[in-house]
Amino acid sequence: MDIPYTVTSRPDTGLYNAKIGIWLFLASEVMLFGGLFSAYIFLRVGADYPWPVWDLDVTLGFWNTVFLIASSVTVVMAWASIKLRKYTQYKLCMLATIACAAIFMVNKSIEYSKKFQHYSVKLTDGTILTGHLPHGYQVKFENVDALEIAIIGSNKAVDADPVDHVLTSVVGDVPKFKFPSGVEQELNAATFGELRKTARAEAYAKMQAERKKMIESAEKAVAAATTDFTKYEAARKLTIAKNYHSIPDTKVKLIPASPLKIAAKPSQFFGYTATSITFVDGTTATGKLVDDKMTLEVDGVDTRAVAQSDKSLAFDHRYLGEAWQKAFVANRDHHIADFEKKYPTRDKAKSATLQKESLFYKLNSATPPAEGAAHGDKHGAEAHAPADAHGHEAHHPTVVIEKKDITFFSNFTPKLNTYYAIYFTLTGLHGLHVVAGAGVLAYFLFFNGRMLREDPEHLANRVEVGGLFWHFVDLVWIFLFPLLYLL
Amino acid sequence: MSDNIEEIQKSVRKYIIIGVALLALSGFTVWLSTVELPTHGLNILVGMIVATFKASLVALIFMHLNHERPVIYKVLAFTVVLALVLFVLFVLSARDPLVFEGFYNRNE
Repeated sequence: MDIPYTVTSRPDTGLYNAKIGIWLFLASEVMLFGGLFSAYIFLRVGADYPWPVWDLDVTLGFWNTVFLIASSVTVVMAWASIKLRKYTQYKLCMLATIACAAIFMVNKSIEYSKKFQHYSVKLTDGTILTGHLPHGYQVKFENVDALEIAIIGSNKAVDADPVDHVLTSVVGDVPKFKFPSGVEQELNAATFGELRKTARAEAYAKMQAERKKMIESAEKAVAAATTDFTKYEAARKLTIAKNYHSIPDTKVKLIPASPLKIAAKPSQFFGYTATSITFVDGTTATGKLVDDKMTLEVDGVDTRAVAQSDKSLAFDHRYLGEAWQKAFVANRDHHIADFEKKYPTRDKAKSATLQKESLFYKLNSATPPAEGAAHGDKHGAEAHAPADAHGHEAHHPTVVIEKKDITFFSNFTPKLNTYYAIYFTLTGLHGLHVVAGAGVLAYFLFFNGRMLREDPEHLANRVEVGGLFWHFVDLVWIFLFPLLYLL
Repeated sequence: MSDNIEEIQKSVRKYIIIGVALLALSGFTVWLSTVELPTHGLNILVGMIVATFKASLVALIFMHLNHERPVIYKVLAFTVVLALVLFVLFVLSARDPLVFEGFYNRNE
């Protein structure tokens, strides 16, 4: 059966059906993105931190704008080419469109991965340090002489699994463990499974013994009951005893044959003290905390939340020190003087740009610039490549931050703040649209060759409809680019 | 949608001109964001006006909305109204009775 009105217009609407369909779909898409743009306004108005402006790589964003606009031109040209029966031109235009989409997505993935590798560390006085963690961040323990494993009885969300959660953070070879049975053996899924089975069987036996005791006691009470009320009470006690199912937790202690060294990532543990660390499966290891400091290659010091910016904790002698402090103050005062000269009547405290330029200092060298040297690059946040794993001697000073000075740290992902949450939501959803749109256009180009020869008007309509979606994707980006990158 | 061959031939030129105009306007938007207007709010306002103008060019020329059948305008009229409601909704948050202190008693 032929689908009606794929080429000719339907008399009542004056349009072929797919066109009505795509416009209805685009109307719903407007509402989808409209809701998210509305959320953007909410989050921006309600933000309790300076909203990031020019924090993303503007050059990359601008090139992506160029490629999307170019692809919008080529897709409408592709449609016109079929109408004019210039088939080679049609194919070239479609190829160009798909290539632009591919370049857009490659740029996007570069941008995302930069954000994943870049960290923001908030200190106790409100200073934010940005930079890279060359070795990741790990909490290290030595002389770990016991693992205390809580094997749960019933109704708990977390179940012990030291094989997957503790052994993965052990440094070096994993020694054998002395099990409660006295046997010294390897800790692996099989031996731990056996251990858990024994422990739970014992716990179950305990539960049954307890129940038996309760039932016996209740039966005695039933026999002894004389009045209606004591009979009722005793019967109730018996029912409760018969329904007793609470299996107790069992604590099992494993002693390693030789003391362990542990290096755990934040995602692997719940918390730690100077003598013990509790992993996410509830297992506690006792030992000695040797290192929970964070090594950060600092590329920015944001003092906008600090009352006295030059007294920021970042310039403590343990961290960046006096020389950087001087460089910071010189840069800050330079920007303030500049602003006063340019805009004598304006309120300095109300200029977000001045606040950022003067108080968010970008570090682009390993040592402080000499006095009187050029001032920090205005938009330097992403101007340099992140230090790679092989040669990170050049660009940034390295500081070792003590845990007690850190209140929060995260890479530039949705959990950092609401700006990055809405940034990833909006650009992620937009990116999916780019992929879907390019996929549809690629299908027309590579799989509708016969239609191009036999029924070009039908294919022209398909390309027009696919193109309408593609223009919509471009249209969304026209708003996204200034809102997320520039303003 | 124009089915006339001559018209389409003419519009090809138009598409390229609009594309170049969009690129120029994008460059203008980037430059504009580096200009320090009296308030940052003004920067946002001007930036959004330019973006809306660019979006209109895309919608009118590339998406052929400058000469389309009435039924599509009817669909889009609903969209525009509903989208506006969506954007105006956040104004209501200013009247949150839990934190609302009166429009003239704000601390700022």
